[in-house]
Amino acid sequence: MKPAPFDYLVPSTIEEACAQLAEAGGGATLLAGGQTLMPLLALRMSQPFILIDINRIKALKGATRVDGGTRIGPMMRQNEVIADPTLARELPVLVTAAQHVGHHQTRNRGTIGGSIALGEPAAELPATAVALGASVEVRSTRGSRRIAATDLYLGPYATALEPEEMITAIHFPDWPDDSISLFREVAQRPGDFALVGLTGAVTVKDGCIARAGIAWFGMGPTPIRARQVEAALLGQPIADLDLAGLAELAVADTAPFDDLHATAEYRRTVGRRIFARTLGERLNRNGP
Amino acid sequence: MSTHPIQLTINGRRHDATVEGRLVLSDFLRGDAGYTGVHVGCEHGVCGACTVIVDGLAVRSCLMLAVQADGAAITTVEGLAADDGTLHPVQQTMRDEHGLQCGFCTPGIVMTLAALTGGPNKANSETLLNALSGHICRCTGYQGIRRAALKLAGDAA
Amino acid sequence: MNAPHTQTEGYIGRRMARTEDTRLLTGKGVYVDDVGLPGMLQVAFHRSPIARGRIKTIDLSAAREIPGVYAVLIASDLARYKVDMLSFFLALPTVPVPVLAVDRVTYVGDPIAMVVAQDRYIAEDAAGLIVIEYEEQDPVVTLADAKHGSLVHPRTDSNVAAATGSDEVDEDLEALLAHAPHLVSIDLTHQRIAQSPMEPRGVVAAPQGSGELTVYLSCQGPQLAARWFAQAFGMPATSIRVISKDVGGSFGLKGQPWREEVAVVLAAQLLKRPLKWIEDRLENLTSANQAREQEIRLRVAFDNDGTLLASHADYGINNGAYPQGADSNIAVMMFLWAAHKLPVFGFHARGWYTNTVGLAAYRGPWALESLAREVLLDRAARKLGIDAIELRRRSLITRADQPCTTPMGLQLEDISPAECLDELLRHVDVAAFRVEQAEARKQGRYLGLGVATYIEPTAGSTGIAVLISESAHIRIEPTGKVSAVVSTHSQGHGTQTTMAQVIAERLGVLFEDVTVHEDDSSRGGYGSGAYGSRQAVAGGGACIRAADLLVDKIKLMAAHLLNAKPEEIFLRDSVIHVFGEKEQTVSLRDLADIAYGEPDRLPEGMDAGLEVQYRYRPPPITMTSAAHACIVEVDGDTGFVKIRRWVTSEDCGVMINPAVVEGQIAGGLAQAIGCVLMEEISYDPRGNPTAVTYKDYLLPSISDVPDFEYHHGASAPSKAEGGFRGVGEGGCIIGPPTLVNAIADALSPFGDIPLQLPLTPHKLLEVIEGRSMARPAPTQPKASTPADAPSEKPMSVAEAVVHEPSSALTPVPVVETAGIDGLWKFILSTPMGPQAFTGKLATSGNVVSGSFYFNMDEASFTGTINGNNLKWDLKVTKPMSITLKYDVQIQGDKLVGKVKMGIFGTAKLSGERV
Repeated sequence: MKPAPFDYLVPSTIEEACAQLAEAGGGATLLAGGQTLMPLLALRMSQPFILIDINRIKALKGATRVDGGTRIGPMMRQNEVIADPTLARELPVLVTAAQHVGHHQTRNRGTIGGSIALGEPAAELPATAVALGASVEVRSTRGSRRIAATDLYLGPYATALEPEEMITAIHFPDWPDDSISLFREVAQRPGDFALVGLTGAVTVKDGCIARAGIAWFGMGPTPIRARQVEAALLGQPIADLDLAGLAELAVADTAPFDDLHATAEYRRTVGRRIFARTLGERLNRNGP
Repeated sequence: MSTHPIQLTINGRRHDATVEGRLVLSDFLRGDAGYTGVHVGCEHGVCGACTVIVDGLAVRSCLMLAVQADGAAITTVEGLAADDGTLHPVQQTMRDEHGLQCGFCTPGIVMTLAALTGGPNKANSETLLNALSGHICRCTGYQGIRRAALKLAGDAA
Repeated sequence: MNAPHTQTEGYIGRRMARTEDTRLLTGKGVYVDDVGLPGMLQVAFHRSPIARGRIKTIDLSAAREIPGVYAVLIASDLARYKVDMLSFFLALPTVPVPVLAVDRVTYVGDPIAMVVAQDRYIAEDAAGLIVIEYEEQDPVVTLADAKHGSLVHPRTDSNVAAATGSDEVDEDLEALLAHAPHLVSIDLTHQRIAQSPMEPRGVVAAPQGSGELTVYLSCQGPQLAARWFAQAFGMPATSIRVISKDVGGSFGLKGQPWREEVAVVLAAQLLKRPLKWIEDRLENLTSANQAREQEIRLRVAFDNDGTLLASHADYGINNGAYPQGADSNIAVMMFLWAAHKLPVFGFHARGWYTNTVGLAAYRGPWALESLAREVLLDRAARKLGIDAIELRRRSLITRADQPCTTPMGLQLEDISPAECLDELLRHVDVAAFRVEQAEARKQGRYLGLGVATYIEPTAGSTGIAVLISESAHIRIEPTGKVSAVVSTHSQGHGTQTTMAQVIAERLGVLFEDVTVHEDDSSRGGYGSGAYGSRQAVAGGGACIRAADLLVDKIKLMAAHLLNAKPEEIFLRDSVIHVFGEKEQTVSLRDLADIAYGEPDRLPEGMDAGLEVQYRYRPPPITMTSAAHACIVEVDGDTGFVKIRRWVTSEDCGVMINPAVVEGQIAGGLAQAIGCVLMEEISYDPRGNPTAVTYKDYLLPSISDVPDFEYHHGASAPSKAEGGFRGVGEGGCIIGPPTLVNAIADALSPFGDIPLQLPLTPHKLLEVIEGRSMARPAPTQPKASTPADAPSEKPMSVAEAVVHEPSSALTPVPVVETAGIDGLWKFILSTPMGPQAFTGKLATSGNVVSGSFYFNMDEASFTGTINGNNLKWDLKVTKPMSITLKYDVQIQGDKLVGKVKMGIFGTAKLSGERV
């Protein structure tokens, strides 16, 4: 289990990295935290000609408040996300999601941008980006553009990023301070990919749900935004929620699959249960 | 295939080397630098045996390239005990609690515990046990490892 | 032997910190990958990507062109070496096992070529450039495939790799089962397991001098490995030195060298260079031999009061293509009911060849017996309306019932599962739990309590030639320090500490003064190393006897030198004390100076030096007993199991180091939790392994394993020297039924749980939901290619194969029986592997007489001739007293037949003229 040969490049600026990506014409792979890529290299499932290590680009690090939201550098390590006071205040569900990514040791290297760019359908951070309405800023030598997280994921490990593009920032819109986080992951062991995962937030105004952003992971070929239940929740008084009915709607958009560890029907069933349990608990109600 | 000069500090000593881009850090530490206490158990980042401390943080050395450690300060399990052989508190506690059998996963566990208990912000037992979920031990059933973690966190009975 | 008067410090029984931990905690251990030699090259294998097929062409040219590649070898390059791939018992394989694949591949991962290069990166680059064309064939993957599919190996008459138990239905037993007041039956399957030592396999082979060979090996004992190589290669044992200092776990996998290790050793000889191969995890999960994958149908008849009346077991185990010793696992049958009052038991056990990686040992290889029995007893308790603990008490053999003999012929003297159960129940308040359980159920929470008992055979000294004895060689060095060379070996067992504890106590020296060596076959004598939970009993006994002999010598010597009586001499803390008229002390160092440097001062006739060796043969069998309980909660929403409490009650005899004993119990239990809840090696219908990394092969993590509680109140010393009992495998045997029973109890409101391990959340949620959540059944592979290569049996024959060995032998013309007079070479396919021996036959009228010669032993018999059929009986005493009934046909110049071996079932016999 040793990587196949490649040329290693280590740019110090975004421009340099974009130029190297353009020159490689699709033959290069970006190395962010490496916590997923390195196993793929070792297994020779990934055999790039050129590996571009973006760990030394300072402009890709750190989180800052911007108008109406938070801008996170893609090379922010997952453990930095967990420890960041701004993110804890502004995006608590993102912090919770980050706590469930891999293990302490992998989170010391693994980055938020690496996880979001990879598009593992059972991963926590892409789904959280989808749920909270995030968008990614991407760059290439041809310029930059914004892609909404909901439009980013096309299939397992397949994204709307072009081969010569790289993520330069992730923008999360502000959610009101009293928003309620929804996060539940069902995984066999800590650090495993989810069999079923639920992430997102709701806000309550005057006893009614005023805003909802909810997504699933491990429930289809991509992170799945639970649009039907989001729509159904809006305006609902929280004292009078039909949790069972909502749970049914919550999984309506999903397309779970059979794999080694669980079947599609298991995922749907548990999805309903954890949706009802999580929403009920977070809104201080008993389960169905 | 590219090669790269690197300079780094391992257990307080400077190392200079020229490495192939694809050389994995764990292989560099074991083979080129001679720190065979770094154990390679899975080479895909799950078992945790290869964990070392890079710039103060516990990381999997099988999930880094050697070239990425250019300029870094690395501590391996060989770098913990005092020169006179006195064990590091983590090592001593692991021994006292029978936290190992075959010893293969042990260096990684020791490095995670050392990274989290060595600094000014000593981790609590919940943090330590959570971090230990990133290590597979096939021998002990984790009994002594858990006792050692609780003791190091100051929560032991 | 004199009773020692020197027991100082009480080292035996103390929770001492381990000696080996100091080096292992500081990175100074020496595992095989830590060995480097000048000029050493690295090996990577090219392996089959298909489960079954014929090799059409092999193109090595691109691989050989890579700079840094030293050689690329295939089977024909190694053909000059004849190797018998022996089993752990040193028996010949039932079908020949190639070192590298020859002409055909038999499982995904079958090694075909090996690249030798300057480093492993380059070796893997080149291995990836080897191009092989196959004619792919439909594989035989599952037990069901094996029974009804085509032949895995050409020139065999069925896919049965090994068999015990008769094919004939025992009508008396069937009648008992059919007419009993209650018949309880279960069908249980155990998944395939990867032993998963954290250090995979590895070898460094260094040819030296003229034909000598040093092999650094990750193994379970360097002595047995050296003996294996010597015998497999037909080399003198003295030419092969195996060194194995630190080993990162084994659990049965590394019990003997196998194909890759052998290929590396041969290639090192061929290339005259030191070679290293370190198995990576991908190889370990796909190409290292694996374990379990068993099925059992167990039927038990009960009286109305729960009395056991009769039982029958039908058992199958997947042997893969090349098992490390073909196996139908007689031990499952030996121990299934060994601790219970059961009058009648019958069984039928078969091991099957398939196109999967071969079968190896795994901690408690026969563990299915406890799982099947204990799960069935719980089901029976529910069916009969008797409390599950009470039902066990009615049939368990107690200390008061012994000595006695089991229906399988096992003599019991001191098993104590009933007493362990009593002790367990002093620590588990079952009644209080039932109240808590009922309360929880009202809240929709599902708690369950599981209880199980078992007995474990540990060190034995009959029947298995490689496991009879253990050696210890103890020296007081001229420095006054103590060196011991013991034939034990640690892959985590801590024998460097425990053997030193025994020696220090019995000698009367400081623990710190004792160094135990067990890592080099050139040092000390033969012993099997770690196998069958034997080291405390056999190794500990050897250390005691050797230490006692050395104490005798020290006393005689000191008494002579100090003008005292031997009984006045006493060793304590490495100092010799003389009591009596003039009390004085002498250091061991001073005595050693005289023993080595001034032997003229020793008593007349005493040899110089202070060293002793002893080879200890433990009692025929030493049993460990236990009862465990665990409490679980099953999440009704997700089917996840949380273990809330686990209580153990064990009779481990005298414990050398309780921390080491508990470590063994805990480690076995963690593996049991993995077996029950998450670990699984599975294959798709094309024979592709589906869990090839630790992302998919799930090992228990720290959050999956609870704190274990240990109780030793039911312990009693064994009959072995020191009173020790083995504990290496027990947790892995009793853990699965304890946990399965707890889960079944938790979900009993919903009915029975499925008995197909692992009990994944998905399977348990199906029970809770009362409906299937299954994926669609996989489509069976179509027979798109011929199932057998032209050189093998024609398709029509292969399809006609019945699933049992054919007992109807082809009739042949009656021959002149006098034609068989003379010397014959026979091969008997026994449960321990094929046994070869020579025999002499003589005929006179209708009488055949003869003798068998087996390793300087001889057994004679007389029988009858009827046409070309010969029958005779032969009484043997090893491994137990049984009468072997031979039924042999003369087929031309060959003899073919079967031998009924009592409880061991029927074995095939073949004979050829010498």
